[in-house]
Amino acid sequence: MTDNVTLTINEKEVSVPARTLLVDAARMAGIEIPVFCSHPKLDPVGCCRMCLVEVDGPRGTAMMASCTMPVGDGMVVRTNTEQVQTVQEANLAFILLNHPLDCPICDKGGECPLQDQTMRFGPGISQLIEPKRLAKKHYDISDTIVLDQERCVLCWRCIRYLEEWEDKPQLGLFERGNETIVDIQDGRPVDAKTGGNIIDLCPVGALTNRVSRFAYRPWEIERTPSVCMHCSVGCNVRLDSRTHQLRRIVGRENMQVNDQWICDKGRFAHAWVNDENRLAAPLLRKNGKLTPVQWNEALAYIADRITGIKEKYGADSIGAIGSGKISNESNYALQRFMRTVVGTNNIDHRDGGEVAALPTGLPALAELMKPQYGPDPQVDTVLLFGVDPSEELPILDLHLKRGILRGGVKLIIAHARKIELTRYDGPYLAYLPGGESLLLDRLIQAVQGPGMSEDESSIQTAAKLLKESENALIVYGPMAARGDDGPSVRDGLEQLAQAAGEGTRLAYAGLDGNAQGCRDMGVLPDRLPGQFPLEDASARTRLEGLWGCSISSSPGYTYKQMLDSQEMRALFVNGANPAAESPDWSASLEELELLVVTDLLPTETAQKANVVLPALGWAESDGTYTNLERRVQRAPKAVSDPKSRAAPDWMMLTHLAKQMGASWPFSDARSVTAEIARAVPAYAGLTWEALGDQGLQWDAGSAPATESSGGRTSERMPELAADNAEFPLNLVTGTVLYDGGTLFSLTDQMHGMAHGATVTLNPVDAAEFGLDPGSAVTVQSEQGQLDLTVGIDVQVQTGTAWIPESLPGAPVGALLNGSYIQRVKVEKR
Amino acid sequence: MELGDFLKGATEIGKAMGVTLKHLGKKPVTVEFPHEDIPIYPRFRGRHELRRYANGLERCIGCCLCEAACPTEAIYVEAAENDPDSPLSPGERHAKVYELNLLRCVFCGDCEEACPTEAIVLGHDFAMANYERKDFVLTKEELLNPGMPKVIIRPE
Repeated sequence: MTDNVTLTINEKEVSVPARTLLVDAARMAGIEIPVFCSHPKLDPVGCCRMCLVEVDGPRGTAMMASCTMPVGDGMVVRTNTEQVQTVQEANLAFILLNHPLDCPICDKGGECPLQDQTMRFGPGISQLIEPKRLAKKHYDISDTIVLDQERCVLCWRCIRYLEEWEDKPQLGLFERGNETIVDIQDGRPVDAKTGGNIIDLCPVGALTNRVSRFAYRPWEIERTPSVCMHCSVGCNVRLDSRTHQLRRIVGRENMQVNDQWICDKGRFAHAWVNDENRLAAPLLRKNGKLTPVQWNEALAYIADRITGIKEKYGADSIGAIGSGKISNESNYALQRFMRTVVGTNNIDHRDGGEVAALPTGLPALAELMKPQYGPDPQVDTVLLFGVDPSEELPILDLHLKRGILRGGVKLIIAHARKIELTRYDGPYLAYLPGGESLLLDRLIQAVQGPGMSEDESSIQTAAKLLKESENALIVYGPMAARGDDGPSVRDGLEQLAQAAGEGTRLAYAGLDGNAQGCRDMGVLPDRLPGQFPLEDASARTRLEGLWGCSISSSPGYTYKQMLDSQEMRALFVNGANPAAESPDWSASLEELELLVVTDLLPTETAQKANVVLPALGWAESDGTYTNLERRVQRAPKAVSDPKSRAAPDWMMLTHLAKQMGASWPFSDARSVTAEIARAVPAYAGLTWEALGDQGLQWDAGSAPATESSGGRTSERMPELAADNAEFPLNLVTGTVLYDGGTLFSLTDQMHGMAHGATVTLNPVDAAEFGLDPGSAVTVQSEQGQLDLTVGIDVQVQTGTAWIPESLPGAPVGALLNGSYIQRVKVEKR
Repeated sequence: MELGDFLKGATEIGKAMGVTLKHLGKKPVTVEFPHEDIPIYPRFRGRHELRRYANGLERCIGCCLCEAACPTEAIYVEAAENDPDSPLSPGERHAKVYELNLLRCVFCGDCEEACPTEAIVLGHDFAMANYERKDFVLTKEELLNPGMPKVIIRPE
């Protein structure tokens, strides 16, 4: 509990909590104090002197920096006297001494605090007749951020952000006095994953956006509040558009999700929205070539072929692949189409039925964020199991770092790779892909074992931390719980959470932007909307009543089964690209009688399709998305290409259903959202209007319980225990932030940041095989081979080879070919 | 009464005839446009043009302030970054697209006033008739190469 103190600001009595800073107290009282260096999310530093105010003290009135001074009881403060005004004018004149009059060519012009404050508090005239100081103008401190040292007013905001939030002090001040400049350290670029936030923080135009450079003026853009779709954190963003084009993305504050920060991928990688290769008309394969046709023709063709295939081979020969990248509305319509119009449960998405997930996601991101603003007992220990937030969920990474630095959160990491977060104190538990269960067994044993062990191994330390913690959170990702071994890993984690004590919670974090929503909508072969199991008769009856037809109760094929199976005759693929994942799948897609691909861009899968339907992306149509903590957020339409004939998925499916004799009551996205609220009990009341700008989290209590897979077989040997002399290395794969994915690689400015086509080895292994960094090698598994170059990193365990997913031009799928575990050998080319 | 009216009428006719006689010897003000030029005042606001510096660089830096100042949204500017090796304008920024819709323009001259580099000025060309609507949208090329370059910049 904090006590309130009462002080007087401008003859007005104000009561604020103790230890509030004067500048914040004035803001609460509605009194404006101009600031440059002070920022509510950063520690006070008091270096710009803009916020000086008059404070009565024992030795008379003094000018004090209100951004560093805490309030005191009975304090008398004045911000409107002549003295304060003189000081403000003098300060602004001083700040402007070396600030170039660049405003017409500066991207900050129009939304610049320095401009605004000069107009409001400035002297109106400059006394300077000497030439201004010259420094480096427009030079890139990373591929995405431009620095103009002349414009800098030395407020330290960027430096403080990188130190306090990113814990990567990559910017600093150099030289002294009049010559002081902000610069990168030793020419090393700013590579923090959320470094772009310093652009938003900069109170002048010193740091600007390389990707959106000169593409917008603040007074001419339309601002649409939206959410980011690059990962499942669901950061709140604002889309700035002009002339039907997305010009810029900036962060938007949501204290429940992302504070006000967004990562660089979310900020900069948006060129795909306006890419010229976007599909703009339905394409139908005629004489072996995809030809643009009218919607009616394309839909009639699909309806005709689907009816034919259904009659000839049965409904179960037709399948559909949804995606965690598309909206709840589109996913819901897809599963409704499959379950009611086609009449099969063959519906899944990548990381769907193959992954042993939990239905409810993280408890609440805000609980992880709270420690940032002081110690908070809601989460005191975090175990990351097969999740790498730095690459997969950058804003979660930011929250965790802040939690560790400020909130005393203890971190335990179990991962196949020594991920970036292992730089913090805390045990790191290594495992090989497929060895997750084995590690869990040992960890559970250690937790259940006798209290004080002398053993200082990391497993013992981790067990001790888990036992001692009161509110531990275990987070696992799809990489750790895929395939046949998945359920056993999930059960192991549940057992671990139980063993660790009452306050321990277990959470599954999907990776795709709408991974949680996809599950909630029932894009799973064995689950209905609301994640009710197919066997649940009451859930089935309820949906049958809503949809007016009967639902098959036999589970369908999973994503992998659909692509592997020879029985599939027709496949709908919405927002997925299985052809790029595995050569076998690529071949089996060609065997299909009908392949309907709905996508934004002509992907590898779309090239093989009989019909390609152009979809609208998240920026171009209304849609709701559910993030990893079950927060349903809306992304309204921000831009639209007037020349494009693309449509949202739910709309084309509604028309297709009509062609096939079903009548759906969907007139716009909001009517689909309304039906979702009826079909999914947890979403009841989550209408478009109710969601607002900050989204709503659905109640975890209303989710159906996970079925237990009936006792865990801890003796089960992991698939990959035996050494194999021919293939000496274990292949480790996973997601990296800057990959070769279609949505990332279309932003030209970011090409230099993309992870190269490399296989990374531990230095020990590299020395053993006689490989130097950069040498060209062939990586071979039993399934196939890949040509890559060698990278060397201690992050990679000995005996493993790290090749991320979807690298530019080198799909690791060639080695995995649909499996999850492979051994490889690396040979010089 | 009648005589009074007559005299009054005669005086008025006399006055009117006086005006006629006064102008009878003068040169007519009618100009045989377009065969003859008409005098244009220096501050006349006609068709716009974009100016260059003496070294050939464009004055326009693509700051979009004219666009913001324009009361009828007649101007559309799209800025881009200069190639440091062959810049189009001094500094980092230039106008990639500069379009001006003469059908919207009210020739108020606010764009001139807003321009920080005196790049856009209203010239003296007023004969702007055309056959196609699209021809009323002046492109950057047309604006940079006006038929009748304007020399005088308004002092304000």
